[in-house]
Amino acid sequence: MSLKGKLALVTGSGRGIGRATALKLASQGADIVVNFFRRREAAEQTVKDIESLGVKAELIRANVGDPAKINEMFDVIENRFGHLDILVNNAASGVGRSVMDIDVKAWDWTMGINARAPLLCAQRAAKLMKGRHGKIVNISSLGSLFVLPTYAVVGVSKAALEALTRYLAIELTPQDICVNAVAASAVETEALKFYIKEGLIKDNRQATPAGRMIAPDDVARVVAFLCSEEAFMIRGQTIIVDGGTSIAPFIAAEEVQ
Amino acid sequence: MSVEEQIKEIIARIVHVDKNLITREGTFKDIKADSLDMVQALVAVEDKFDIEILDEEAQKFQTFGDFVDYVEKRLTEKEKA
Repeated sequence: MSLKGKLALVTGSGRGIGRATALKLASQGADIVVNFFRRREAAEQTVKDIESLGVKAELIRANVGDPAKINEMFDVIENRFGHLDILVNNAASGVGRSVMDIDVKAWDWTMGINARAPLLCAQRAAKLMKGRHGKIVNISSLGSLFVLPTYAVVGVSKAALEALTRYLAIELTPQDICVNAVAASAVETEALKFYIKEGLIKDNRQATPAGRMIAPDDVARVVAFLCSEEAFMIRGQTIIVDGGTSIAPFIAAEEVQ
Repeated sequence: MSVEEQIKEIIARIVHVDKNLITREGTFKDIKADSLDMVQALVAVEDKFDIEILDEEAQKFQTFGDFVDYVEKRLTEKEKA
């Protein structure tokens, strides 16, 4: 699967799943726009690692929770490149609270970054994908389907994102753009370490039927597949990457091994 | 307007409190700000001054004065760079 000559924007690609995805797409030949917001050092490292693969990388700092900053980011892409082939909506945030503790601010903050930003990015991206067989992949999580502790508002935002994926997939068909989502369960990233440290989830790093924790690369590989022409007939779907956890809720992982 | 005044304005806007209630000796707790208010204030200040505030450093702020001092330090470093 070659992505040579393609240009991909991966939001939140300084760390975690975004970084792994950016590197995966770069390893297949795509030039990458690395978007970050808070950790410049990590994002600069991602840029260096991408460039060492022999492709180009462009660093853009933008808070995707702010619609004006999304527009500024796309203005830069439009002026510098004039087109875009792939958009991966990965940047996410959230407020860890139970349903009864969610207030307007927590709701708006989370929905703004996890659901509104992918919509606004897709709208701008679609215009830059004209005649280029564009691909859009949204990064969701299993919290859209299953109840996780203090995950309510994030789970709801991811459910919104998956519904948005379906609408985009159908309504962007005339523009020849494929839209899908990838939902992972707990992935070994810095964000997960926080959840474990705070005691919000159990440290169950062995507990998937597949026998190991999900790594950012596991997600990145599926994203790369969805960005390829091989996935042309997959539209509006959310592909679950969880090592089998969600379909075997009553079986302890060690019983499978 | 000084850096301190600008930071006070940002916090006042986010937490919906009178700017005069924000003093160098005061804390987020004093103005009944929650953890999201704090994150939003950090993000808004980062955006305003185009600097990065490390989470590890932010956790050490005892007062608004510490916050202002840190931002001023980052701005000086940025000028030198």
